[in-house]
Amino acid sequence: MSFFTADLISGLISNFIQFLLILLLAPLSGGIIKKVKALSQKRKGAPVLQMYFDLWKLIRKESVVSDTASWIFKATPYIVFAATAAAAFMVPVTTLVPSAISGDLLLLIYLLALGRFFMCLSALDTGSTFGGMGASREAMISALIEPSLLVSIFTVGLISGTTAVDQMMNTMKAVGVPLLHPVYILCFFAMIIIILAETSRIPVDDPATHLELTMVHEAMILEYSGRQLALMEYSAAIKQLIFLTLLVNLFLPTDQLVSLAGISGAGAAIPAVVIAAALALYILKIILASLVIAITEISTVKFRFFSIPNLAALSFILAFLGFLQYFVLGR
Amino acid sequence: MNKQEINSITALKKELLARHPELSKSEIHGNTLCLDTDSDSYQALCKNLNHKFAFPLVSMFASDNRASTGCFTIHTVFAHRQAGILISIALPVDPSYGAFPSLCDLIPAAALYEREIHDLFGLHPMGHPNPKRLVFHGNWPKNHYPLRSDYPAEKRPDFADERIEFTRIDGEGVYEIPVGPVHAGIIEPGHFRFSLAGEPILNLEAQLYFVHKGIEKLSEGKTIEHGFYLSERISGDETFTNSLTYCQAVEKIAGIKVPVRASFTRVLFAELERVTSHLGDLAGICQDVAYGFASYQFKMLRGWSYRIADELCGMRFLRSVNIPGGVRKDFVHGKEEILARLLSELQKELAETEAIVMRNSLFIDRIENTGILKNKIAVDLNATGPGGRASGVDFDVRTAFPYEVYTQLEFETPVQSDGDVSSRMKVKLAECFQSISLMLQVLERIPQGTVREEIGMLEPYRSAYGLTEAPRGENIHYVMVGENNTILRYKVRTPSFCSWPALCHAVSGNIVPDFPLINKSFNLSYAGNDL
Repeated sequence: MSFFTADLISGLISNFIQFLLILLLAPLSGGIIKKVKALSQKRKGAPVLQMYFDLWKLIRKESVVSDTASWIFKATPYIVFAATAAAAFMVPVTTLVPSAISGDLLLLIYLLALGRFFMCLSALDTGSTFGGMGASREAMISALIEPSLLVSIFTVGLISGTTAVDQMMNTMKAVGVPLLHPVYILCFFAMIIIILAETSRIPVDDPATHLELTMVHEAMILEYSGRQLALMEYSAAIKQLIFLTLLVNLFLPTDQLVSLAGISGAGAAIPAVVIAAALALYILKIILASLVIAITEISTVKFRFFSIPNLAALSFILAFLGFLQYFVLGR
Repeated sequence: MNKQEINSITALKKELLARHPELSKSEIHGNTLCLDTDSDSYQALCKNLNHKFAFPLVSMFASDNRASTGCFTIHTVFAHRQAGILISIALPVDPSYGAFPSLCDLIPAAALYEREIHDLFGLHPMGHPNPKRLVFHGNWPKNHYPLRSDYPAEKRPDFADERIEFTRIDGEGVYEIPVGPVHAGIIEPGHFRFSLAGEPILNLEAQLYFVHKGIEKLSEGKTIEHGFYLSERISGDETFTNSLTYCQAVEKIAGIKVPVRASFTRVLFAELERVTSHLGDLAGICQDVAYGFASYQFKMLRGWSYRIADELCGMRFLRSVNIPGGVRKDFVHGKEEILARLLSELQKELAETEAIVMRNSLFIDRIENTGILKNKIAVDLNATGPGGRASGVDFDVRTAFPYEVYTQLEFETPVQSDGDVSSRMKVKLAECFQSISLMLQVLERIPQGTVREEIGMLEPYRSAYGLTEAPRGENIHYVMVGENNTILRYKVRTPSFCSWPALCHAVSGNIVPDFPLINKSFNLSYAGNDL
């Protein structure tokens, strides 16, 4: 029997469509967050679609590269984008596919870490002052936040008995309303703090600042311009949507996830209406999650840099308590 | 009131003459006691004034009097703030000798003034521990001293190529980061050299004077009117207070008193400028900790105060309001009601904003204990204004050296003692409310009458000091007139000049990401410092 069964092919097609969906929607959540923040400040703010325009503008501009930069600087945008896109390929958005072609959550996390590693290297590469500072800060923050990320993921993984993304989502789908369960609600809040740290949001970083001395993520990509900058910013947007998707599809009601498993034969198509409904629900959940982030950003201020360990510790404790709850209460 | 002041200034004169019988000349001009000394007794006299009487050094500058007296003169100015007296000491310096004794060891605040004198006049401060260039950078050639009267203002010297050396801190893992002169965001240029061990700042050295415009040289030989326009252009956000200080000095020389209605009008404008400036600072503080709501709220209020300025004079930056002898026209007439309404709206919204912002514990956590300026340093370096008052320096030019009609109005000077960003923010907030209240009082009490007096012909070679409370603190301008109503020497000392070194002290020990916040809480003027 050939390796390329009909199941596999339909799964791959489904995966690819969902991957395109993430690429397409990635700049949107940032736009929503910016719009909500602007409205809270009595401003009209930029259009929700502004980031699409910005990326289009940047792609057409030439890149200026420092004389002192090595190949790392030039290669990094492509490495970061490739790693992030590969991670995006593993995240089911609306349709669950058989696990043979789905990814492992650990792989996803460390693909993103690979991108970050190269981003830190490229920040050091040009020898500019702010790049080095940004890289050292980013390394510190990611080292602090990684334990809580792993513990909260493993808690869900433990319950599911696997770290495959789609099977975890399938398990959570069976739970029904995870946020009513003590284990998951703790992991949910841990995850929100993780997202704030991983996607350079206020209280950890200020995505809107112009002050190089306070920057983290922005300081690392300060030397980039044109198409390279577009790739870096686009990758950051995709990463943010990956995390938001994980959050909403794991912890919010996941009934909309259409299961492809069990439907055999390429001809047995799932009704288009079901897919459309799943997509609409997914977008609604992403908007909701963006609102949560926007409101967190509005109501907090950027922490003093040396207070970030406290935040990471809080996230870790939440995740770890969730982990313990599993043994006490079961799922 | 007036009589008592004269009494105390004469008492001071008597006291000083008894201690220093060698003083060759001593004269009283208004609230200024002018003393002539020589290089032998100069240090002893200054030490006495600063250490025994605790009079702070408030200004120090040179003037080129070779045409009239055959020598340069170093003017060293101390202030007796409790009695509102300035003590101006004149020290002649022989051009062939070209040096004067440094006061640095006795008075730390003298360090910058003496370096400035060296750059501009080529007079060497003997015994100065760090006689590095201050005004000029590596591209300015040696032996070019532009403020000497024989140096043509239009002369463009060739570029020199010399490196500026910064203070080096040695130690394991200590590194430097250069920031500026061009910054992200729309702010003025200045270079900051940090020495760091990880994130904590060990030392900060600021290299300013990137926007040196040569205001003092440009004013030489120009008419009094021309000098007025120059004074308005020293610093964009202190237009009114600088022009007011200049006018005050000229009016003192002319010996005229401004009409009462003009005085009230001037208070109105000065306080409006203060509110506008403080609101911008408050917005900046909030923005630097990513507190978006508060930042935009303060920015909006700043917009409102610009609107009030627009309503008053049709010019948001308050140019061409003043004129030596009063104000240009009756700006207030017929606008009392609308101004009172706008001011009350501003007051109400500001109170609501303050209530929200100062209750945000995360925000308070950021600004408390950040960037502490110790009282001792503030006093030694003569840091005045909100920056000084937040560190317990209880001094306000409006009460210590009353000008215009401040004695007829009720206001308080807010003082805090912690010296951190939070204290500076509280002082600025409280000052906003005081200024709004002052403006409302002005609108109630302003009498009818003329708004302008002619200054007429000024007696040549007379000089005077103007002294006002700028939004950033004590502002001192010295004007000496020549023949035919021209300016012989115009020396500007803005509060920023004294506060920049204080900022550098307040920063050490903090971490790098907190620097912008500390900097914004002082919000010193680059243009006002660089002149």
